[in-house]
Amino acid sequence: MSQHHHDHDHDHGDGHGHPHAEIAQTGMPGYYEIMETAVRELLVERRLIGADEIRRQIEVLDSRTPALGAKVVAHAWVDADFRRRLLANGRTACEELGISFYDDTQLIVLENTDEVHNLIVCTLCSCYPRPVLGLPPDWYKLKAYRARAVVEPRAVLAEFGTIIPDDVEIRVSDSTAMVRYLVLPRRPDGTEGFSEEQLAALVTRDAMIGVVPVTLTAGHTAKGALQ
Amino acid sequence: MPSQTAAHGGPFAGIVPADGEEPVFAPGDAVRIRTLSPVGHYRVPLYLRGKTASVEAVIRPAAVDNEEEGYGRNAGARRHYYRVAVPMTAIWADYRGNPADSLRIEIFETWLERI
Amino acid sequence: MTATEQLMKRLPNDIGGLPAEPIQRVEHELEPWEKRCHALADVLDFHKIINTEEKRRGVEALGSEMVGELSYYERWLAAFANILFQKGILTPGELARKMAEVEARFAEEAADRKPCP
Repeated sequence: MSQHHHDHDHDHGDGHGHPHAEIAQTGMPGYYEIMETAVRELLVERRLIGADEIRRQIEVLDSRTPALGAKVVAHAWVDADFRRRLLANGRTACEELGISFYDDTQLIVLENTDEVHNLIVCTLCSCYPRPVLGLPPDWYKLKAYRARAVVEPRAVLAEFGTIIPDDVEIRVSDSTAMVRYLVLPRRPDGTEGFSEEQLAALVTRDAMIGVVPVTLTAGHTAKGALQ
Repeated sequence: MPSQTAAHGGPFAGIVPADGEEPVFAPGDAVRIRTLSPVGHYRVPLYLRGKTASVEAVIRPAAVDNEEEGYGRNAGARRHYYRVAVPMTAIWADYRGNPADSLRIEIFETWLERI
Repeated sequence: MTATEQLMKRLPNDIGGLPAEPIQRVEHELEPWEKRCHALADVLDFHKIINTEEKRRGVEALGSEMVGELSYYERWLAAFANILFQKGILTPGELARKMAEVEARFAEEAADRKPCP
């Protein structure tokens, strides 16, 4: 799903999706990779950090994908007691399922209903529930989404193909400090006989950010999925 | 501010919490987000300065002020963050949508004043 | 408010509510160095060598031109370097010498990978 972006937004954007254009041309890592390597090696040489700590943290990051969040959502759909605990304290409920919060954040889970639709953004940077969803997509970190989600959420949602009826209340959560947010989407109609695994396969990353609903058609792949 | 404990109704009388241990605001409180202009680092976006809000929840545990963390302070005085709700129509004069639409955000205690 | 006052009062990352383009749903798989950069940020925070909030402040302190032009992890790296200098953990000269060494090593490795004519 690498749709590299070429916007050269000179106003707070996050341009340059190609940090490695250089390596393709010269066979050599680029300036920033050299800098990353140099900073890391200096810190390791001085025993301020361990090389194994970086390797371990990469494994931690790789183990966090939207498939985890999808399992949490599906479990909440089938287990009313768990759903209650999840809405009361997102972090401890996820920890029950073995999902650790390595980044010291709290988690508030926001339930979408036929009366309320929740949408998550971080206007100041890129706060995101990384322990349960992995790293955020580029569009979540770019100016357009961050600038507009708090002022015209309905128009932003429409650009994702999501039309929220006027009588449904929208709550936009701007994530800024120690709390991260996860949307508990509505369980789609027609899934009454589904197993928890089948339900989890329907839940996408974008549905847990609140930009799209969960539908019977748009599931994610077994790998963990970007959409 | 003595005897906050009574209000919190623990089983033992006479316990005095340290400064900052107990949240100053409670769910339902009406507050105003202060109009301040910190230099260098802040986590209260400009679009919310001076807006009135209602406290939805106290965020626990109490934490170090993130403006101070930004300059390397990792421990020390802790206060609470509060998740507050602000109506969209109170933020944006020309907001288009349901009048009940709202913005929710966590704000550090020092940024809130009771109204 | 004067223009320079505005520069002091609005951090370059504080963009909520500003006019912006339609959303382009772009995403890319992280390059290996970007993933390592993210892991480095986490490890630096675990040790409180550079905590998360310092990293954010370090990015903001790059100023609006750098914030606008550099990619996400390029900004993080630039912030790490500046903060490590400010804390006296590294000096600009040490980093420059290490970067020259790493660049020479990479060039050697690239040459070794080239097939013999």
